[in-house]
Amino acid sequence: MEETLAVEMRHVRKYFASSNVLAANDVDFEVRQGEVHALVGENGAGKTTLMNMLYGLVHPDHAEIYVYGEPVRISHPDHAIRLGIGMVHQHFKLVPSFTVAENIMLGIEPNQFGFINGKSEAEIVRELAQNFGLPVDPNARVSELSVGMQQRVEILKTLQRDARILILDEPTAVLTPQEVHELYNVIRRLADDGRAVILITHKLLEVKEVADRVSVMRRGKMIGTHDVADVTIRDMANMMVGREVILQVEKQPATPGDVVLKVENLLVAGMGGVPAVFGVSFDVRAGEIFGIAGVSGNGQTELIEAIAGLRPVDGGRIMLLDHDITDVNVRTRRTEGMAHIPEDRMTMGLNLQTNLDENVIVTSYQKPPFSSYGILNFQPMRELAARLAKKYQIASARVGEEIKTLSGGNLQKVVLARELEGEPKFIIANQPTRGVDVGSIEFVHKTLVEERDGGAAILLVSVELEEIMSLSDRIAVIFEGRIMAVLDAADATEEDLGILMAGGTLDKKE
Amino acid sequence: MLKRLQIVGGHAAIPLFAVLLGLVVGSFFVFLAGANPIQVYDQLFCEGFGSRGCETFDDLLIVEAENDDGELETHFAPFYGERGHGMAIVLEKATPLILTALAATIAFKAGMFSIGMDGQLVLGALMAGFLGYWIPDQIYAATGVADFEAASSVMRTVMHIVVPTLAISAAMIVGAIYSWFAGFLKVKLNVNVLISTIILNAIAVQFVGYMINFPLRADFNNIARTRAIDDSAWLVPFTRGLFSEIEWFRGSRTGVGIIIALIAAFVIWFYLWRSTSGYEQRMTSGSSLFARFSGIATEKAALRAMLISGALSGLAGAIMILGVERRIVDGFASSGTGFDGVLVAILARESIAGIVLVAMFFAGLQQGAINLQFGDLPRQLGGIIIALIILFSAMENFFRETMSRIRHRIAPDAMTQTSDDAVPVESG
Ligand SMILES: Nc1ncnc2c1ncn2[C@@H]1O[C@H](COP(=O)(O)OP(=O)(O)O)[C@@H](O)[C@H]1O
Ligand SMILES: [Mg+2]
Repeated sequence: MEETLAVEMRHVRKYFASSNVLAANDVDFEVRQGEVHALVGENGAGKTTLMNMLYGLVHPDHAEIYVYGEPVRISHPDHAIRLGIGMVHQHFKLVPSFTVAENIMLGIEPNQFGFINGKSEAEIVRELAQNFGLPVDPNARVSELSVGMQQRVEILKTLQRDARILILDEPTAVLTPQEVHELYNVIRRLADDGRAVILITHKLLEVKEVADRVSVMRRGKMIGTHDVADVTIRDMANMMVGREVILQVEKQPATPGDVVLKVENLLVAGMGGVPAVFGVSFDVRAGEIFGIAGVSGNGQTELIEAIAGLRPVDGGRIMLLDHDITDVNVRTRRTEGMAHIPEDRMTMGLNLQTNLDENVIVTSYQKPPFSSYGILNFQPMRELAARLAKKYQIASARVGEEIKTLSGGNLQKVVLARELEGEPKFIIANQPTRGVDVGSIEFVHKTLVEERDGGAAILLVSVELEEIMSLSDRIAVIFEGRIMAVLDAADATEEDLGILMAGGTLDKKE
Repeated sequence: MLKRLQIVGGHAAIPLFAVLLGLVVGSFFVFLAGANPIQVYDQLFCEGFGSRGCETFDDLLIVEAENDDGELETHFAPFYGERGHGMAIVLEKATPLILTALAATIAFKAGMFSIGMDGQLVLGALMAGFLGYWIPDQIYAATGVADFEAASSVMRTVMHIVVPTLAISAAMIVGAIYSWFAGFLKVKLNVNVLISTIILNAIAVQFVGYMINFPLRADFNNIARTRAIDDSAWLVPFTRGLFSEIEWFRGSRTGVGIIIALIAAFVIWFYLWRSTSGYEQRMTSGSSLFARFSGIATEKAALRAMLISGALSGLAGAIMILGVERRIVDGFASSGTGFDGVLVAILARESIAGIVLVAMFFAGLQQGAINLQFGDLPRQLGGIIIALIILFSAMENFFRETMSRIRHRIAPDAMTQTSDDAVPVESG
C-alpha cells in the first residue's frame, strides 16, 4: 500500500535578485503524515525560504507542490491555511496588546460561531488548549506572556485553524531548557495525532531527540533525507557544512591567574531609564572563561554595554587591571587591553558599507603604521587585512569591496580577527556564534579557548546553554538583572542552570 | 580589468538611464505646454552645452554684461561675436552648486542629514557683501587714500589679496557656526537635523531679507539692495583679468571662484577618503553604533563635519557675492542655491567627481531653462525635467533589481554563485 505524503515539493527553485542568492536550487522535499520531520542547515541555507514557499509567503520561480497528493499552487498564506498548513515563524506575529484569545481567534469569521465576544472566544480557546494539552490563560494579554507562552499561543493559533501540517521555524532559539522539553512533548503529541510537523532548526541534538526523519539543506540545495535513527549528529553536521567538523570543544582545565575584570555592585539603566542591571558583582581572572547564562533580555545587553563603555553606569564600579574604568571612554578601555566581540556584528561589530581594510583598522587607525599626521596609509591597512584574512581563513569578497556580501560566519571572523589582534588582556564575547554556521562556530570556540590559554580573561555571554557549558570555566546565571548564582562549570548541570535561568533557586540537597 | 570597467559602467548606466527617462516622461509636460519635445530639448541643451549658445535664438540673445562701473546690464541683442561658449556660463552657475553639494555630502557622510546650506549660504553672502565694502572703507579712512583707483599698485595688490581673504574667511566662519548649531542641537538634544536646518534656513533667509531692506539698504532703488562691494574685494572674472583675450569666456562672470570650488572638491575628497578624521566620520555615518563601539568620538566627528559643511556653504555665498553679484539684491536670499546643492549631492551619490559633473549638468539645464522662455515656453518646464530626472535616479534600487533580473534571464548560471563561493583575499 502506498502511503500518501502530507507534503511533496519537487524541483523547487527560488532566486532572490536583490541579494543575488539562489535560495532554492532544484530542491525536492517530502513529509509523511504523522512524522516529525526536521529540516536542518546552516544559516542562510534556505530553510525558511523553502517553508515560506510552502506557506504562500514567497513565490517560487518554479515548483511542483502536492499537498496530500493534490497538485497545488499556493499564492497566499490564506490559501495555505485552507489546505491545512500552519506556520509558526522565527519571529512571532502576535498582536502584543491583544489577549491570547483575541490573538488566536483573530481573522476567524464571527458568524461561524454565531457571535463573537470575549467570553465565547475565551471558551473556545480554553477548550482548544485543553484538547491539545497546552494550557494557557485565554484572557492574558500577549505582551505579558513569556516567550515560551507566546510560542504556545502561536501553535494554538495554527491548530485552531485546523492545521494538519505544522511548520515550526527555529522554535527553540528563544526558549529555556525546560520550555524546550515541553515543546518537544507537544510536537511529539501532535505528530502521534497524525499531523505532519516540520521542525526547522540548526541544533542537531534537538533533531536526535524529537525528529523521525531529517532533511539537510546546504546553500540552497537539498543534500539528503534520512531516518534519524540511521544518522549520527556528526553525520548531520558533515552534511550541513560539507566537510568534517569537530563539535566538541577541546580544552584543558583552566589555570586562572590574577583578577583582570572586577565588577562591583553595578547598576545600569535599560531602555527608557528602567533599571536593567541591579547591583551585579563578579570578577573574571586571567586565563579563564567566565560565562553568563540566561534567557535573552535579562540584562545581559545592558551589563555588557556598561562594561564596554557604551552605556552609562548608574552605580557601582568597573575595574580593569586595577584601574577604575567606570567612567572612562571606549578608546581608553581598549588601549588598556579590552576587546569586544559584540552581539550584533551587523550594526555594531562591523561597518558593512565599507571594505575589509577599513573594518580591520577601526580600533587602530589613529596609530602608526596605519596613519601618520592624520593621513591614512593604505599599504599597511591592506597588509593587515590580507594577513588577517589568511590567518582566520576569511573567504572575502573581492579585495576592496564592501563586506556586506560576506556570510555570517565570515563576518564574525572579521570581528574576531580585528578584536584579537593586539593581544587583548580582557575579551568580551557576547553571543559570539549567533547566526554563524557550524564550521565557523567551531573556529570561534577554538579561538576563544586559545586566547584563554594565552592568558586572556574572557567574559562570555550566550543564550545557548550548550555553548556556555562547553566553553566556560565558571558560569554565572543572570535573571532579571541579577546574578542568581555562580557555579563551577564542572559541577553545573543543564537542569540546574535551567532552573536558575527561569528565576528559581537550587535546593541544597546533600 | 574588464570587470572593473563593467562595474564603473554599471555605476554610470543608472544615472544616464534616469536622465533619459526624465527626458522621455518630461515630454509629456512639453506636449501639455503645446510644444515639440525635440525642439525644447534642443533649446534646453544647446544653451548650456552648445559651442555658441543657441543659434536658433540668435536674435533674442540675452547677455548680462557689466558696464564700466561694474554694474550689470542686460542686453537683448544679436551680438553673437561678443558671446563665448555656453559652458563658460555653466561654470559660473556651477560654482556655488559644487560648493553646496560638497557641503551636503560631507554632512551626509557623517550621518547628519543637514539641508541647511541655504541658510549658511545667505548668511555667508551677507557677511562677505558687508565686509566687501566695510573693510576697504576702514583701510581708506586709515590711509587717507580716496578709493581703489587712487591707491598705489602695491597697495592695490595687497588689498586685492587681504580684503577678499578676510571677507571669505568671515563668511566661512559664519556659515560654519550656523551649521554647527544644528549639529549641536542634534548631538546634545537629539533634535532632528533635517527639521532644525529647515527652521534655521527660514530664520536666516528672513534675517538677511531684513538686513538688505533696512540696516544695509544702500539706496532707493526699486528693489532693495546693499552697497556694491569695493573693487578691492572683487574676485575679478576671467574676462576682465588673465583671460580677457579668450573668447570662450565671453558673457560669463566665472573667475577664480570655479578654481576655488575645484580645489575645495579635491580637499574634501582628500579629507573624506584619505584622512583619519574623514575615516572617523565615514565610519560614524556607516553605523554610529559601530563607530562608538570602536572608540571613535562620534559626536566630535559629526560636529566637525557640520563645521566643514557650513564653511563650504558660507564660501559658496561669498563667491556668489564677491565674484558674481557684487552686492546683495533683495530676493537673493530665497534663490534656493543651497537646496539645489543638496539635490546635486543626492544625484552624485557620495562621489566627489560626480558632484562636479552633476553640478555642471544641473547648471546647464538651469541656464537652458532660462532660455526656454524666449521661445514662448514656460521656463518651469526646465524645473520639471530636472525634478523628473532626480526622481528617476532616486529609483536606483528599482532599476538595479530590474536590470539584474533581466541579466538573470539571459544568463541564469552566472547568478547562482553565493557569497561563500567568492575567492579568498590574496595576500600582497
Ligand atoms: N526576501 C529576501 N530577499 C533577498 N534574499 C533573501 C530573502 N529571503 C532570504 N534571502 C536569502 O536567501 C538565503 C536563504 O535564506 P533563509 O531561507 O532565511 O535561510 P535559513 O532559514 O536557512 O537560515 C539567504 O542567503 C538570504 O540572505
Ligand atoms: Mg531561517
